Amino acid sequence: MKPGFVQRWQMDRRNLLGDIAGGFAGLALAQLLAREACSAEKPRHDFNGGLHHFARARRVIQLFMNGGASPMDTFDYKPQLEKLHGQKLGPSQKPEGFTAMPGALMKSPFAFKQHGQSGRWVSSVFPEQAKLVDQMAFLMAMQSKTNVHGQGAYLMTSGFILPGFPCMGSWISYALGNLKDNLPTFVVLPDARGLPYNQQGCFSAGFLPAIHQGTVIQAGASQPIPDLFPPKGTFTNATLDSDGLGLLGALNQSHANRHPGDSRLASRISSYELAGKMQLAAPEAFDVMRESATIRKAFGLEDKTTEDFGRRCLLATRLVERGVRFVQVWSGPQGATNNWDNHGSIPNELPPIAQSVDRPIAALLQELKARGLDKDTLVVWTTEFGRTPFQQGSTGRDHNGGSFVSWLWGAGIKAGTAYGQSDDWGYQALADKTTGHDMHATILHLLGIDHEKLTVRHNGIDRRLTDVHGQVIREILA
Amino acid sequence: MFKALLRQLVFLLPWFLMVPGGWFHARADEYFVSRIEPILKKHCYECHSHGSGKMKGGLTLDSRSGWEQGGDHGPAIIPGKTAESLLFQAVDQKTGKLKMPPSGRLPEADIRLLEEWILGGAKDPRKVAVHKGPVEAWWSLKKLEKPLVPKGASHPIDAFIRHKLAAKGLQPALLTDRRTLARRLYLDVTGVPPTWEEAEAFVNSPDDDGYEKLVDKLLASPRYGERWARHWLDTIHFAETHGFEHDLPRAEAWRYRDYVIAAFNNDIPWGRFIQEQLAADAFYPDDTSKRVALGFLGAGTFDASSYSTAPKTFEYLDRDDLVHQTMAAFTSTTANCARCHAHKFDPISQEDYYSLQAVFAGIVEGNISFDEDPKIAKERSRLTLLADAAVRKDAGVLLVPEYQAVVQKWVEQHQNPVVWQTLEFDGKVKADAGTFKLQQDGSFLVGDSTPEKDTYVLTTNLPGKKWTAFRLEVLAHDSLPKRGPGRQDNGNLHLSEFEAMVLNPGQPSPKPLKFSKATADFNQEGWGIDRAIDGKPETAWGIYPQVGKDHQAIFEFEQPLPWNPESKLTIHLRQLHGGRHLIGRFRLSVTDAPNPSLAALPAEVAAALRKYASQRSQAEIIEIASQALKDYSGAELKKLPAQAKVYAAGATSEVLTGLNQGSTQNTPKPRKVEVLRRGDFDKPLKEAHPGALSAIHWLKARFDLSDSEPESARRVALANWIADANNPLTWRSVANRVWHYHFGQGICDTPSDFGKMGGNPSHPELLDWLACELRDHGGSLIHLHRLILTSHAYKQSSAGNAKGVELDAQNRLLWRQNNQRMDADTYRDGLIAIAGKMDWKMGGPSIRYFREGKPVQSTPTLDYQVFDWGSMPLHRRSIYRFVWRGIPDPFMEALDFPDLGLLTPRRESSSSALQALALYNNKFVLHFSSELARDVESKMSAIEDRISAVTQRVLLRKPTISEMQAFREYVTKHGLAALCRVLFNTNEFLFVG
Repeated sequence: MKPGFVQRWQMDRRNLLGDIAGGFAGLALAQLLAREACSAEKPRHDFNGGLHHFARARRVIQLFMNGGASPMDTFDYKPQLEKLHGQKLGPSQKPEGFTAMPGALMKSPFAFKQHGQSGRWVSSVFPEQAKLVDQMAFLMAMQSKTNVHGQGAYLMTSGFILPGFPCMGSWISYALGNLKDNLPTFVVLPDARGLPYNQQGCFSAGFLPAIHQGTVIQAGASQPIPDLFPPKGTFTNATLDSDGLGLLGALNQSHANRHPGDSRLASRISSYELAGKMQLAAPEAFDVMRESATIRKAFGLEDKTTEDFGRRCLLATRLVERGVRFVQVWSGPQGATNNWDNHGSIPNELPPIAQSVDRPIAALLQELKARGLDKDTLVVWTTEFGRTPFQQGSTGRDHNGGSFVSWLWGAGIKAGTAYGQSDDWGYQALADKTTGHDMHATILHLLGIDHEKLTVRHNGIDRRLTDVHGQVIREILA
Repeated sequence: MFKALLRQLVFLLPWFLMVPGGWFHARADEYFVSRIEPILKKHCYECHSHGSGKMKGGLTLDSRSGWEQGGDHGPAIIPGKTAESLLFQAVDQKTGKLKMPPSGRLPEADIRLLEEWILGGAKDPRKVAVHKGPVEAWWSLKKLEKPLVPKGASHPIDAFIRHKLAAKGLQPALLTDRRTLARRLYLDVTGVPPTWEEAEAFVNSPDDDGYEKLVDKLLASPRYGERWARHWLDTIHFAETHGFEHDLPRAEAWRYRDYVIAAFNNDIPWGRFIQEQLAADAFYPDDTSKRVALGFLGAGTFDASSYSTAPKTFEYLDRDDLVHQTMAAFTSTTANCARCHAHKFDPISQEDYYSLQAVFAGIVEGNISFDEDPKIAKERSRLTLLADAAVRKDAGVLLVPEYQAVVQKWVEQHQNPVVWQTLEFDGKVKADAGTFKLQQDGSFLVGDSTPEKDTYVLTTNLPGKKWTAFRLEVLAHDSLPKRGPGRQDNGNLHLSEFEAMVLNPGQPSPKPLKFSKATADFNQEGWGIDRAIDGKPETAWGIYPQVGKDHQAIFEFEQPLPWNPESKLTIHLRQLHGGRHLIGRFRLSVTDAPNPSLAALPAEVAAALRKYASQRSQAEIIEIASQALKDYSGAELKKLPAQAKVYAAGATSEVLTGLNQGSTQNTPKPRKVEVLRRGDFDKPLKEAHPGALSAIHWLKARFDLSDSEPESARRVALANWIADANNPLTWRSVANRVWHYHFGQGICDTPSDFGKMGGNPSHPELLDWLACELRDHGGSLIHLHRLILTSHAYKQSSAGNAKGVELDAQNRLLWRQNNQRMDADTYRDGLIAIAGKMDWKMGGPSIRYFREGKPVQSTPTLDYQVFDWGSMPLHRRSIYRFVWRGIPDPFMEALDFPDLGLLTPRRESSSSALQALALYNNKFVLHFSSELARDVESKMSAIEDRISAVTQRVLLRKPTISEMQAFREYVTKHGLAALCRVLFNTNEFLFVG
């Protein structure tokens, strides 16, 4: 994006995938085409909407376990910890980012069992996901370069440990645009109890134009999209609004006629048409009550523990079904409680948060499959880092970027695989280590994007989602 | 084994190594160039060379130092050792995981050649090939010389522009119409559209000089500083919260924003602007009011979480942000790109980069305190020096005639001994654990069990008198460890809080007594007696190392107490520090002596006072003077007005670690900064010393400061380096920024990057001419603005024409003016001003245009949607809006207000459905549509008049006949406010013209 003045304005530049062209204002379309002619890359039909090669996936749901989900209490079974429990074998100095001196080695308080044909070990906190392990591909030895939440969450969402960089959803919006023009391209569903670490930093478009910003939606709020309709108690009403849009259109059209050759004017005219489409589509898309009682129950909407996360998983299903490109679902707010940052007590703090996501996630995967969306939807379960095999206090665990687990599911993924191995304690990645950059590279790859080619020049550097790192993890690809 | 190895070695030795003689090196070089380099070039350079711009895994192979330093896994080649050379293992692909190149194994012959070469010592004559050609050849680094103005136009700027246009066969556009020109000028210079009346006055002005006068008037308006300060704040990513995990508010940051506004309004020379922001404390030590400028150093993000749990990471990254900000903002250089390796494109070495880090190694961001009034600062400094002299017992300061009267008066007040009456408690003495034995002298010896912590509670009645103070004596005793007076093994004690409560007859509960002051004859360092009355149980008084001796502390009442004999007095001696820091023996007494004579004096001072003046030794005279002047300076310091704070950075600063919570950090000596291999602080290469970029070789790139110089000398040196008249980057940078905002596009279109990855200047000579004009006219931005604003290039129409579009679609040559979209701030200010609801008040703490809720952790929750615009009669300009870095205002964001996690030298200008929804439906737009309608309706009644009035106010023109017809129909049906909303959404309004 080497900006000249004319190109500095950005519009929804990539939304020309064949399936949405109808109904678009003719003028705007012409402008878009003119613009596309001068940009280097665009999604290609013969690549299934990919940029550089055939796209296996077209939409992504990212489930982010905020706080650092403990691997050795969920998916990374460590029998050695049972043997060495209580022994002080850890580092003798506090590593950077640990909040306290590491204590003795601590075994998991939960029972592990093998599941499925693949024989994945899963602890008792995830009974429902355990049934689906044969559909997932696990990254068993992910590593982060930080033990600090804010930095770690940035790294897993934007590829940098610093603020101000575009997150993955924004990059994908920038690269591929939307699948449908009547809903936002990138939707964020934060925990009802609060924003994650970094507030809205993990869904910022950074230096990309604002249009690629994650649209933050409070599930259950009266207005799903901010300003979708005027607030109550103002002078507006439906006829006033639509008569006003008519008048505005006429004024803008006559202004555009007086100022020929400025495509930004046309783009603004069409933006109101798109806004109108969104007003029509969004209320339906965001209304989970349109789902059957059976489905709502499957997602756990009737159970207090699972209600919030379940509603957001169901919403994610509806949104990707309706063409939203990227949905980020957060489990847990920032803070010391109600999330995955279990410093105080693994036996007391982990089960409730694990329970709140387990059934909804299983329902999400099953429902995506039932609706045939698994063929082009990728689901990613991840977190900012793992936790220490050492106890903190009596039964808690501290931050640990040394090794953690993520899994991927759906389009293009080799089901029932696991890649990578941590050491006997689960403290450090041992073999086939992967990073957030590798995961990002892999996700982009599945979307038909070469992560090294998707760059934007900013302040002297061609920036990428994967910084100067990242390798596609081919071992987990179908 | 050894023999076998030797045999193999001999077998493998390249032939030239077996030949002795002086031509050895030359042959080795030739061997490399002819046999080895081609292999590397063919198979490795694609991913590991400066030429390809790729250094995968951090490794380059196009120089000797490239493989010596190696990449992420360490050195790539160990001369003489194939088994330890990662490169060889990777190409050999027999052991290890690494297999290179990715396209497949090299031909066997090539692998054997590499093996032979490594075993032979890996001779490699290549030097680093980063910067080809002379450094100065790059446009931004060339010496700044004022170019000759081409012929062909009366205005120098137009002469440069037309020269280029003519070369391309293009003509400048005609002058734009006066109405558009007025709107353009007002929005550009002040950030607020003109009123209808202002625009009319200009349009109808018969005065030929009308435009120049308007330019001068607007540049002199305080609105100018408010507008242009915003540009600078974007450039340096100033916001009022930390960003990151704990996005904490900085309540004192606004003072810097006010400084920037004033700096622009006062047109302070650009060089001075640089100096003040980097080191006002050192450049203007006496003018403390200038300290606010240091807010520049605290403009960026702060990772409070790393600060406390990952300090090393924090330090390097935090300084990186400051280096990035400083060099990008002032010199349009991306020095930060040299953090992990030499800059790939520009002549900036890693050492340059870490030298810049070293400049900031002595400061930490936080609130710094200062006196707004320099006179107060002077007084504070005098008293502080005096207090220091009193501690040092410096006769040279203490015995000067100036202070004789003060000392004399103090002696008179303290000469008569105070009469203390021992308090009797009649058995009403309790403790959580200890037991009390009353001694002959009225003191208590505490004994038996020794808990970690304890609180002694003593209750008594007092005869009715006007009491003024309590005295607590802690007394030595043979039975105590080290003779006490404490019960800790080392004889120490810690009194956390001294509390007294009075229960008057008829009152339901006892009332705490308030103390104005506490003094002790001795205070352990960091454990002063004032900590026993500060209400904080975590701080305490201690007496170490003066153990085995009696000590006393005196607690003076805020007001003398007329005592009711029926009143009950309860004293709590809270000793909560733990570790058995408990009082072993003590006595409590009370006095009615008047206040000035009180205070517990050190034994030496008390003894000296008991002597006649004529009999005091010199040492005793100093003892008395030091005590007197200590009291005096302490009391006088207390009388001074409280200091102001600004969020900045300094060697001493109050770091904000929690919501409304700070901790003072002192950095007595700058931290050591090291050049880090690959930016990894576990791999230091060597120490870095303060400096700047060596590419500008005529300026001194290393500051050569001695260790004895204060930290601020580093910042002074950098400020001087940047502000130097011969620093070409600085003057080009600011001239280009100013141009960028006036035209929406810089002469170089990457205003913070003049390197090889940045844009090429469209008019390099013009840029140099402007830079020299600025530099040589006292660094006056106003001078530069005036030059630009009076050029035809600025005043010309923005209308397009076919030829221009064909030959220069991006308008780089300025054949027309650019029609910029209003940015978030001008749009917001425009609506408020047009509705007549602007409060033009300047400065002060930022307005929080949101509702703040309880934090989930430490960052408050914000709700912008529920803010009630009707709750205030008037509203402030956007520059006075509290900008929360991590939780942006969605309305402003929809109009591309930037993410201030990073520097924003240039705002984007996007359009989207979400933006359309915001402009059409957001409460803010609806509210000011209503306000505008209400204002117009209150002034006129005919519908046509009202319609004309709102159109004039929003679009600065009358409605056309057909518009009037359509508007009337719409207003009749839906009201005037609905029309205002439509007008606020039009492109005609949104685009400047």
